Amino acid sequence: MRGLLRNNFYTALPNVKVFTGIAVLLGAFVVAMDNAVPSLIIGYALLVIIGFSLISIASVRKESAAKWGKYKLTTPVKRADIALSFFVSQLLWLFVGIGFAGFGIAMSIGLHGYPFDRSTDVFMLLVVGTGISLFMGAIFFPLYFLGGEERSEVMMVVSLLGGIGMMMGLSSLINRVYSGNMTSRQIILSGIFITACSAAAFAASFPVTAGVFRKKEY
Amino acid sequence: MGNILELKNLSKSYAKSEFTLDQISFSLPYGSILGFVGENGAGKTTTISCILNTIGKDSGTVKLFGQEMGDADTGIREKIGVVYDGDNFPGVWTAGQLSKVMAGLYTNWDQPLFQKYLVDFHLPMKQKIRQYSKGMTMKLAIAAALAHHPELLILDEATSGLDPVMRDDILDVFLEFVQEENHSILLSSHITSDLEKVADYIAFIHNGRLILTAAKDDLVYRYAVLRCRENQFHALDKEDILAYRKRDMQIDVLVADGREARRKYKDVVVDHTSVDEIMLLLVKGERV
Repeated sequence: MRGLLRNNFYTALPNVKVFTGIAVLLGAFVVAMDNAVPSLIIGYALLVIIGFSLISIASVRKESAAKWGKYKLTTPVKRADIALSFFVSQLLWLFVGIGFAGFGIAMSIGLHGYPFDRSTDVFMLLVVGTGISLFMGAIFFPLYFLGGEERSEVMMVVSLLGGIGMMMGLSSLINRVYSGNMTSRQIILSGIFITACSAAAFAASFPVTAGVFRKKEY
Repeated sequence: MGNILELKNLSKSYAKSEFTLDQISFSLPYGSILGFVGENGAGKTTTISCILNTIGKDSGTVKLFGQEMGDADTGIREKIGVVYDGDNFPGVWTAGQLSKVMAGLYTNWDQPLFQKYLVDFHLPMKQKIRQYSKGMTMKLAIAAALAHHPELLILDEATSGLDPVMRDDILDVFLEFVQEENHSILLSSHITSDLEKVADYIAFIHNGRLILTAAKDDLVYRYAVLRCRENQFHALDKEDILAYRKRDMQIDVLVADGREARRKYKDVVVDHTSVDEIMLLLVKGERV
């Protein structure tokens, strides 16, 4: 697994370097700006959380540009481990994104004060970013191996939109259950519910992906 | 000592293609090099893909080190080094990064040996692989294939696209590799001169079917081509003819025993042949 994770890391690295540069510059701008209207900080947090995940899954297709995807099958690893490594890598990059978002939010709050209406808003912001990222990964990986590498761009767009759609669907469901103004406890419960759903979808996607990948011919 | 690789009646067909790999059988003894030769699209890569389990076979058996290799048999893959034609590794990596990935994949990865190959092959450690020339990428792939101390090398068109000097260097590396008696190489190529230099056995594949497997020395020293006129051709014993090809006024006839042919057909010119000519006669010629 260590070699596979290194493989995924080095494959993602060139894009990660560029995106990290953008995230740092954008973060510095967002932190420097007054946060009376919190839309900038919300946008930044979602961008870095989803962005790092997106870069992680986008790097998978680089393997198909060379024969490495086929070569890797000749090395002493199981196909299920290769599939698992993609999920683990995306999870690790998601944590990096959360780290960037958390640092940016903390800096902005430290410099300009708390910009949100409720104390739970920061938590929900991280929940939404994490949820979209996990749903995106859950949709992308099986589709990628099912649809073929040449359709990876479409699969990426579909999975991103699917992730956003799932999040909107869950939000609608929660709003139906808790009509009217939600208490902080209800918001936290909703956040846990969204996180649990996205984590369950992400976990359930692995055996599906491994099953599809097992039959894939190179 | 037995066979490091054995194929028995290996068959594979594709749903969206008319190509079929048909009942391929051959074996590769320990300590030897088997040249797997055929024109583009003959089925070399499909055969190798079945051997390496990157595609599923329809029927037949493939035994590596005496056993069939499934997805879970990672121990067998520890003992195999692979080189494909073209870009084996992502171009965004450096050789140093490749080495770190490989070290995490192979338990026997030998970093000093890999670095030695990089030095010997004049490959920069920190340059991106996409900036390498074709020859450099092939040398890198060979270095990576050798640096985990494999016992079997499977090389799919590993020398194609390289200049003769570079090919010669690489063939020397292969010959050095098989000095160990438990080491073997399956070398697929359509460059027959390479196979003549290094192979102990040669298997010819054409249209998904194995048409001839023989020891290289037999092919080069025993096999022969009769240069016949029409009337001489008709006088030949049909059982002696492996393949023949009409060329203007002459008919070239491939026979398995040149010495016997010289004794039997005294008025016919009997020439030594080459792997290249044998392949042409088998592929483009006709059978009796």
